[in-house]
Amino acid sequence: MRRRVKKKISINPKYVFGACIIICAALLVLSYKYEEQFAPVKNAVGNIITPMQRGIGSVGDYISSKFKIFSDIDELIVENEKLKEELEEVKNINQMLTQEKYELNWYRDLYELDRQYIDYEKVAAKVISREPNGYCNVFIIDKGSDDGIKKDMNVLSGNGLVGIITEVGKNWSKVRAIIDDFSSVSGMFLKTSDTCIVNGNLELLDDGYISVEMISKNAEIYDNYEVVTSYISDKYLPGILIGYVSNIRPDSSNMSKEAYLTPVVDFEHIEAVLVITELREELVDLNEELNSDN
Amino acid sequence: MIIRFILVIIEILLFYLLQTSVFPYFALAGVVPDLLMILTVSVAFTRGRIQGMLTGLAAGLLMDFCFSSIVGFYGILYLVTGYLAGFSHKIYDRNDYTLPLILVGVSELIYNLLYFVVFYMLQGRLNFGYYMYRFTVPRVIYTVLLSIIIYKLLNMQNVAIMKLCDED
Repeated sequence: MRRRVKKKISINPKYVFGACIIICAALLVLSYKYEEQFAPVKNAVGNIITPMQRGIGSVGDYISSKFKIFSDIDELIVENEKLKEELEEVKNINQMLTQEKYELNWYRDLYELDRQYIDYEKVAAKVISREPNGYCNVFIIDKGSDDGIKKDMNVLSGNGLVGIITEVGKNWSKVRAIIDDFSSVSGMFLKTSDTCIVNGNLELLDDGYISVEMISKNAEIYDNYEVVTSYISDKYLPGILIGYVSNIRPDSSNMSKEAYLTPVVDFEHIEAVLVITELREELVDLNEELNSDN
Repeated sequence: MIIRFILVIIEILLFYLLQTSVFPYFALAGVVPDLLMILTVSVAFTRGRIQGMLTGLAAGLLMDFCFSSIVGFYGILYLVTGYLAGFSHKIYDRNDYTLPLILVGVSELIYNLLYFVVFYMLQGRLNFGYYMYRFTVPRVIYTVLLSIIIYKLLNMQNVAIMKLCDED
């Protein structure tokens, strides 16, 4: 019988397995301890992967849009009718609103409220990939440090808060949405100025809610009150709309109230976002400087 | 061997891109299928423990580097599933298309349980039933369904390379 000439190296898989486990464990500890030193490696990986994701993402976009044409055409016809009716109504309302706007501007001047978040500088970005598990609500956008984006910048969509930048690469950055389980935002009721904490919650999210906690027991709040980012938050700019509360009840300790919150942003179909290129810290620093000058 | 190595690297990249950038458009019940798990289990089943776990490790680390703040969790999870699935290589039969599906299902289930323990139970979130019913079960089903097609393709590729390199 002819034997194979080539020598075959055989290692017991157990040892390879052990070695790999040790490598992973070491990585875990190292990346936890030296998070900053790891950032360049992550950046490098991100810089390679991102252009590919952008390319393949557009393919997915194209295919799904083609599928949608078939499935949506009936819906669209019905919707179109409805929208036409709505448009008429809205036109009417719009006219009223434009009149009221003058009045509003006048009031704003009066209260010196014209520095709302409307005039923050913003950069538009596209969502190019999502967290592979589907459990976390973390996604990646196609703008990075090249476009002036920095960590902890606030992300908006339409007129509501989406989340915050947690990591920045050259041409990509990672956004943690406020509906993520591990997200927590300091909020405030616009009407009463009572503060609260808005937490993401995976379970409530199915019904379209996230949770609001630590509302003062004496706060006079009712359903559909707006919650905005508060003045005391250290990362979020003040006055950005988060959503509307409902289902207000005392919490288990009976020391404060908790409630549900419906975010204004439609997180399921989020495709483009705006990043405010202004950091909360800068504002705080300026104020401190002013205080120290005085 | 080199061909296999290059092919697996390409496949890991491709599946990762599909999973993060294309399948979110086709999410069913809010879940995205775990393509990298299909790849890991397929390699483990057709090639054995060592290659299974190395594929798992590479796939996991890629996810780590791109998505988690701490590197290594996904690496370990995929490494373990690749290693365990590799034991089934002893009964590998190139015409068997049922066993790999079961393997993928079981691996995905175990992976999700481990994920739940690490990220949720240790954070004091114990609503196991809800988590199972809302995320794990749909994910397992979606992944198994897709693996019917993907395993077939991967197995065809494996058999073709075997013939090409004249391995036994």
